[in-house]
Amino acid sequence: MLHALRAEWRREWVQLRRYPTELLSELAVIVLVFYGLFLGGSYMAGGAILGGRLSDIIVGYALWTLSMMSIGTMGWTISNEAQNGTLEQVFMSPYGASLILLLRNMANVVIGLLFTILTLFSVMAITGHYLFVSPWDMVPGLLMIASATGLGYLVASVTILMKRSQQFLNLLQFILLFLIMAPTANLGGAWRWLAIMAPFSPVVALLRSMMTQGSALFGAGDWLLWSVVNAVLWLLIGLLVFGWAQKKARRRGNLSHY
Amino acid sequence: MLLEVGGLVKRYKTKDRQIVEAVRGIRFTLSAGTILAFLGPNGAGKTTTIKMIAGLVRPDDGDVTVEGHSLSGRSGQALRHLGAVLEGSRNLYWRLTPLENFEYWGGIRGLSRKTARDHGRELMREFGLEDKIGSTVQQLSRGMQQQVAICAALIHSPSLLLLDEPTLGLDLDASDRIQDYVLRLAHERGVGILLTTHQMEVAQTLADRISIIQSGVLTLEGFKEDVLARFTGSSYVFELAEAPSAEARILADNLGAAWTSECEFRVVLDRPTDVYEIMRALEPCSVVRVMRETADLATVFREHTRKSVSMESVREVTA
Ligand SMILES: Nc1ncnc2c1ncn2[C@@H]1O[C@H](COP(=O)(O)OP(=O)(O)OP(=O)(O)O)[C@@H](O)[C@H]1O
Ligand SMILES: [Mg+2]
Repeated sequence: MLHALRAEWRREWVQLRRYPTELLSELAVIVLVFYGLFLGGSYMAGGAILGGRLSDIIVGYALWTLSMMSIGTMGWTISNEAQNGTLEQVFMSPYGASLILLLRNMANVVIGLLFTILTLFSVMAITGHYLFVSPWDMVPGLLMIASATGLGYLVASVTILMKRSQQFLNLLQFILLFLIMAPTANLGGAWRWLAIMAPFSPVVALLRSMMTQGSALFGAGDWLLWSVVNAVLWLLIGLLVFGWAQKKARRRGNLSHY
Repeated sequence: MLLEVGGLVKRYKTKDRQIVEAVRGIRFTLSAGTILAFLGPNGAGKTTTIKMIAGLVRPDDGDVTVEGHSLSGRSGQALRHLGAVLEGSRNLYWRLTPLENFEYWGGIRGLSRKTARDHGRELMREFGLEDKIGSTVQQLSRGMQQQVAICAALIHSPSLLLLDEPTLGLDLDASDRIQDYVLRLAHERGVGILLTTHQMEVAQTLADRISIIQSGVLTLEGFKEDVLARFTGSSYVFELAEAPSAEARILADNLGAAWTSECEFRVVLDRPTDVYEIMRALEPCSVVRVMRETADLATVFREHTRKSVSMESVREVTA
């Protein structure tokens, strides 16, 4: 399995190196967005950086883009490879397609993370504003990406059955944005289950409490526990649904385009 | 036994909710070192069968085992022993070089980078493509791409290779190279190969065994020599003095004539005396020469499918 992970990693890396213009344009977008956030942040704070707030915005933005990437990658891989005529070969791997897609997603996230950190540092160097991001912020970040991967399997399932997934992806992004904006953490009674079970909800509550109240990772009530439960739950749901979708596509005989 | 295919059945539902019975109870076995040519008209169910063996299409009934591992159980074990080049697919990443493709496809089959690279180099050398190892697949000719795809399918040294129309659309040189390689792979290294093709000369060169599938049913199965021998001695070539009239041509067609030119056709006759019947049918056009010849696979295929199709239509009429 390690060999498969390395293979995914190398494949991504080679493609990045081979097509540097695509890489550069992607990087340029990230740099511009971060630069804008920095400038905007310092402007709003009247020149004196509101250190905490700005780093929250940056961390939030980085997490959002990484999660969206995790949600979209697997579906995109499937539709792209179905068109290119390599999908069936991927599905013939003895490890199974679910695992291969997971490894591919991991390779993507690591590369995305590297770029984000890289641009963050260069933007900090350019603007002269330095942010402190605690390494503990990585934990909710990883939980968020785990949930996102579960949702990614759902998108992949829709893609493999319907051969397109853009509408579903848009809808999903809209719902997630709503869940992130809405203060679900304050809901009481039966609604509290929504705050725990809805994708991203508990981890956003955790992040919010860490950022705005400056609470430590383990000091934010039960939100850390619920975030772990939530991430595992959505990962499992995603895996189960994808397993079912695969079976269905194999029964229909239309794994690749027919 | 390397490959055992037992009672495979596949019904597809089309978009307009009709049922297509693509494969209706196919069973056969394939042993190591044997090349089985899977022949049949368009839509007969060849690709469906191959994809069921590769685990890409789920059969409605029946099972496949590869090296004793069932595909419906823990399919991983069966898939480890199997490589496939699928019809009309690229089977490769075009943006990567052959070597990078081998690393990837080897990696997701559990090979280390070094093993995949070394084996990939060796395979490319056997095809005489070692100098192409560093160009992207996109830059290679179609024939080379197909050869690289075969190398990639062999990267994990499978004992069973599935080839769906491997020489389709290739020039003579590329086709010959692939055929040479397939022969060596089976007869020197003991790989079992199941291939489909519409090119009868390819099947005739390569096959140890022949299977003909029609409308999802195997209608003929056997060693190539036996299959050819069934028709040998009953195949005739007629050469005519001039092109016959349209009516005479139709009469000859009804007797199964396959025209090779305006004035020449090949026909399989059940009894030698039928030669006279054909000559009568062609009158007043005169026959210059009648040759009895050994049957080739194309003739066998044409004859066999013509007969079993007419049998089938008879069955439909009487039913
Ligand atoms: N995914 C699918 N959904 C519905 N029908 C299908 C599907 N795949 C194949 N078929 C139908 O099943 C039948 C068998 O198709 P198959 O591709 O196996 O034939 P084949 O022998 O490979 O033909 P060819 O020589 O043209 O490649 C055909 O009637 C085809 O239209
Ligand atoms: Mg086919």
